[in-house]
Amino acid sequence: MTNFDAAVSAEDLTKRYGSGDAQVTALDTVTVAFGRGELTAIMGPSGSGKSTLMHCLAGLDTPTAGRVWLDGSRHGDADRVELSGLRDDALTALRRDRMGFVFQAFNLLPTLTAWENITLPLDLAGRRPDQAFADTVIDAVGLRDRLHHRPAQLSGGQQQRVACARALISRPDVVFADEPTGALDSRAGAEVLGFLRRSVDELAQTVVMVTHDPVAASYADRVLFLADGKIVDELREPSADRVLDRIRSLESVARGARTAVGAGA
Amino acid sequence: MLRAMLRDLRAHLGRVAMTLAAIVLGVAFVVATWVVSDSAAATVSSGSSRTDLGALVRAKPTGPADAEISADVLDRLARLPGVTRAEGVRAGYAALVGASGKIGTTSWAKTAGTDWDDSQRFALIDGRGPQRAGEVALEQQAAAEAGLSVGDSARVLLGGDRSDTATVVGVFSYRATGWGFDPAVVYDADTATRLLRDPDATPTAEPGFAQVELSGPDERAVVAAVEADLGAGYWIDSGSELREQRAKDAAADGDVIRKALLAFAAVALMAGVFVIANTFTMLVTQRTRQFALLRAVGARRRQVRRAVLTEAVVLGLVGSTVGVAFGVGLGLLAMRLLPVVGDVAYVVSPWAVLLGYAVGVVVTMVAAYGSARRAARVSPMAALRTDAAVPRRSLVLRSVLGLLAVAAGAAMVAVTSPEDLTEPKRMLAMAGAVLAWVGVLLTAPILVSAVLGPLTRLLRAPRPVTRIALRNAVRDPRRTAATSSALMIGLSLVCAFATVGQTLSADITEQVRSTVPENAVVLRAAAFGYLDDTARAAATAAPGVTALAAPRSGGVEVISARGSSQDTEFTSLDPAAVGSAIRPRVLAGGSDLRRGVLLAERVATALGVQPGDQVRLRFPVIGEAGKAAPVEVPATVAGVHEGSDLLRGQLIDDALVPAGVYRQGDSMYAVGADASTLRGALEKAFASRPDVLVQDRDELLDDLLEPYQLVLGLVYVLLGAAVVIAVFGVVNTLALSVLERTRELGVFRALGASRALVRRTVRRESVVISLYGGVLGIAVGVLLGGVMQYVILANPVFGMSVPWLTALVALAGMGLVGVLAALWPARRAARADILAAIATE
Ligand SMILES: Nc1ncnc2c1ncn2[C@@H]1O[C@H](COP(=O)(O)OP(=O)(O)O)[C@@H](O)[C@H]1O
Ligand SMILES: [Mg+2]
Repeated sequence: MTNFDAAVSAEDLTKRYGSGDAQVTALDTVTVAFGRGELTAIMGPSGSGKSTLMHCLAGLDTPTAGRVWLDGSRHGDADRVELSGLRDDALTALRRDRMGFVFQAFNLLPTLTAWENITLPLDLAGRRPDQAFADTVIDAVGLRDRLHHRPAQLSGGQQQRVACARALISRPDVVFADEPTGALDSRAGAEVLGFLRRSVDELAQTVVMVTHDPVAASYADRVLFLADGKIVDELREPSADRVLDRIRSLESVARGARTAVGAGA
Repeated sequence: MLRAMLRDLRAHLGRVAMTLAAIVLGVAFVVATWVVSDSAAATVSSGSSRTDLGALVRAKPTGPADAEISADVLDRLARLPGVTRAEGVRAGYAALVGASGKIGTTSWAKTAGTDWDDSQRFALIDGRGPQRAGEVALEQQAAAEAGLSVGDSARVLLGGDRSDTATVVGVFSYRATGWGFDPAVVYDADTATRLLRDPDATPTAEPGFAQVELSGPDERAVVAAVEADLGAGYWIDSGSELREQRAKDAAADGDVIRKALLAFAAVALMAGVFVIANTFTMLVTQRTRQFALLRAVGARRRQVRRAVLTEAVVLGLVGSTVGVAFGVGLGLLAMRLLPVVGDVAYVVSPWAVLLGYAVGVVVTMVAAYGSARRAARVSPMAALRTDAAVPRRSLVLRSVLGLLAVAAGAAMVAVTSPEDLTEPKRMLAMAGAVLAWVGVLLTAPILVSAVLGPLTRLLRAPRPVTRIALRNAVRDPRRTAATSSALMIGLSLVCAFATVGQTLSADITEQVRSTVPENAVVLRAAAFGYLDDTARAAATAAPGVTALAAPRSGGVEVISARGSSQDTEFTSLDPAAVGSAIRPRVLAGGSDLRRGVLLAERVATALGVQPGDQVRLRFPVIGEAGKAAPVEVPATVAGVHEGSDLLRGQLIDDALVPAGVYRQGDSMYAVGADASTLRGALEKAFASRPDVLVQDRDELLDDLLEPYQLVLGLVYVLLGAAVVIAVFGVVNTLALSVLERTRELGVFRALGASRALVRRTVRRESVVISLYGGVLGIAVGVLLGGVMQYVILANPVFGMSVPWLTALVALAGMGLVGVLAALWPARRAARADILAAIATE
């Protein structure tokens, strides 16, 4: 795994919810690494554990077992951090300084203007934004004339682009995006995806994106397929059609497995 | 449907707890007020009224002195048919000397003594009645103030500069009849006859009685017999008349207390209305989708409205029940703590309970009405939207009304002027002030945006905590306004009263400081008495006194050369002391009383006279046979002075006052070469005079200011209820806001805000809201106080003294309130589960 330049990596990540009969294994010994400067998409049917994986990677949730590292070559090898065992404040600081987030919806603080939302992570850290970089990001998301608007005055797509700009402003090691286009129409969604793509190409940003949309996945460098808490497949240089094919075949495998179980009973 | 709503209410029980608290506190205050006033009245009228009194006989006075009933008359009365018992009551001056060697320094000391008997006049609390010379029984309160109890030795100051020392054998409380006196000291009959006699009476004359108490099996027969026997020279009151009179007086007193307390309760309830209304608004907002669903499945607007109002009634009933119980307990507790004489009667009338419920339910319904209407206007379509909001009326109408009220109120004050402040004009100005105050409450929401909005921009590059806190505070101006308005109500009144108090104190302080020299020694009659000639002589003769002002006042009519006249007062002094021992505040002319009279400004203005003019002073003199025989004295106006409580009315030379003119003085001012030596000398000279206090200027000032401070303290405590209710409102607003913002807080946390930071943000929002309410309350309160002192004192409106200390304490208190109110909401916010918050479902 060390030969691979990873921004985030996880080993034997397991997450179980509940206990006894009601126990659900949301993640089952997942070992994975996300390449630096890559846009990785995580796909899978609903309930397959995509969000859980992302939350564990981001330190928002604590795995039942396994380890997660944030590799900080940008900050030097000394900054390689293992997330497990960190206390809340340390995790909070990590999220603030070295991760970016784009959620499906309700991303922005309604009382802050677009600009204030974008710079919030820096503000929280008590840092001033690097104006040149901020300009780059803002021009890239095309929000220059909307900077002093409140979220309520922005469209859903614009709000999501603000969220993207915010995720990038602190030049994090990795940006996590959970269904960033889930609540958007296809045109707005395409704008957001285009922006994430450009952040990888032009700013060498690492992005991990959860989606169930094959078109969205086609923007990625690499697609991981998750089923029942396990990584079951991987695709490089995906196109929407290839992603769709792969999903169909996975589904038929799953159906077959289920039929087999049913027959066995 | 109703059941669904009520179940919903139960689910929100935590959230309605604060509303309940507001209702409970308001209702409890009202009920406690009722219980206290009823019980106080009952305690006075029944608990301490007498059943053994058939008739009370007093002689009508023929001159200025009290008339007595002779022993012959008592004998005659005792033998009347139907009279089984006739008790002559002796009375005279007798005051208890306290540990300081003086009689009652600042409180109302009782200065009467009487003789012991076994009637219901006395209720023994400890020990027994006095039986022989050397024994004395003391009234409970007087004994407590002097620090004496059974077994101690008591020193009693008697009339004519005599005093007596006796052993305390009993402590009692006294059942007054409505007529007569309130004794502090009781001797056995023989000792009383000897010690309580008027020292000026002819030694041979048979001592008489202040009143005679008669009893018999048939009260009417007793009264009829006495009336037939005595005739017109006496007052005869039957026992039942006296009891009725006492009950009536007590009820009237109770009513005064009740009205005063209810005014404060009303203020508390008003703060409660804001808190309750605010909570209902928030509860309704949170359930918008539920209302929309109800509407979508066919509920009519009226049904939704009624459902919310029913909720209010249920809440009101629950709150009232707790409030009534709490109030009754509070009232009874207060009765226990009050210094009541004798047995305490506890009265919980059905009115108290009914009123408690009525107030609780009505106030809650009134407060909830707006929310109910808004809930009913939620469109069924809102059920389909995720961002559904309750429709809100715009703030325009409310703000315009508010601004109009402020403007009209200010105009009402402005059209009156201090020079010509008649009673109707005072009322007008006061009404204007209240109207403007209400106007501020109405404009509060736009004020919130207008004040706090720019503040975010003014603060240069505020850190995210402050910025977000401020933004959250202005986010819903109505909510912040309602929350801080509740605070403002109590606080503004506290500050208004503080302003009036401060202005009065400043006035008095200024009067005393300018009139009395700093190094003067002040001699004052204790217990609201007067100084006699002996005291004046002793002060004059004391070593080291270089000048002594012994002002004495009486009535005089001042007549100008043109014939117009003013009925007023005069104060006479030794001209040599003016300017040295006492300094009149001269406005025109000079202050030399040898050149003439110093008119008070008001009289000089009314008569249109100036220094140098001639006036006549007409003194009332009681001549032979009690007939009025006024004496006129011509005088030149030497100057005009600003009257004060220390030098009242026209100042004239002692020598100018004709003989026989009634005048009394209660203070003297002495100066000498060295203040402390002088004080020592005067203390020594008056060591044997427990009725004369020796003080310096600051002690005099403290004594004069004390009553105001006591009243103000009481007012602050009573207004405290309104402030406490408002604090619950702040907690409520924050708690509900935090609940509403779960998702936002989750995002905030996910983006890297630590728990501590989230806590700080909520706390700061709380402090912002509280301080806003504080600043508004203080500002409005000082202005209101300005008008109040203008109405009371006819000072200019802006001539008030700002109570900086109270304002500072209030502001700091509000900051603390903000921090405390945020404790629970902040913890809650910091615990927000990030994952739950950002989950889309
Ligand atoms: N807080 C939770 N408690 C119990 N089960 C959960 C919880 N969160 C997720 N799960 C379960 O874990 C599995 C994976 O969920 P999730 O990661 O949200 O899937 P996805 O994002 O792929 O739809 C699902 O079966 C889900 O029911
Ligand atoms: Mg998911």
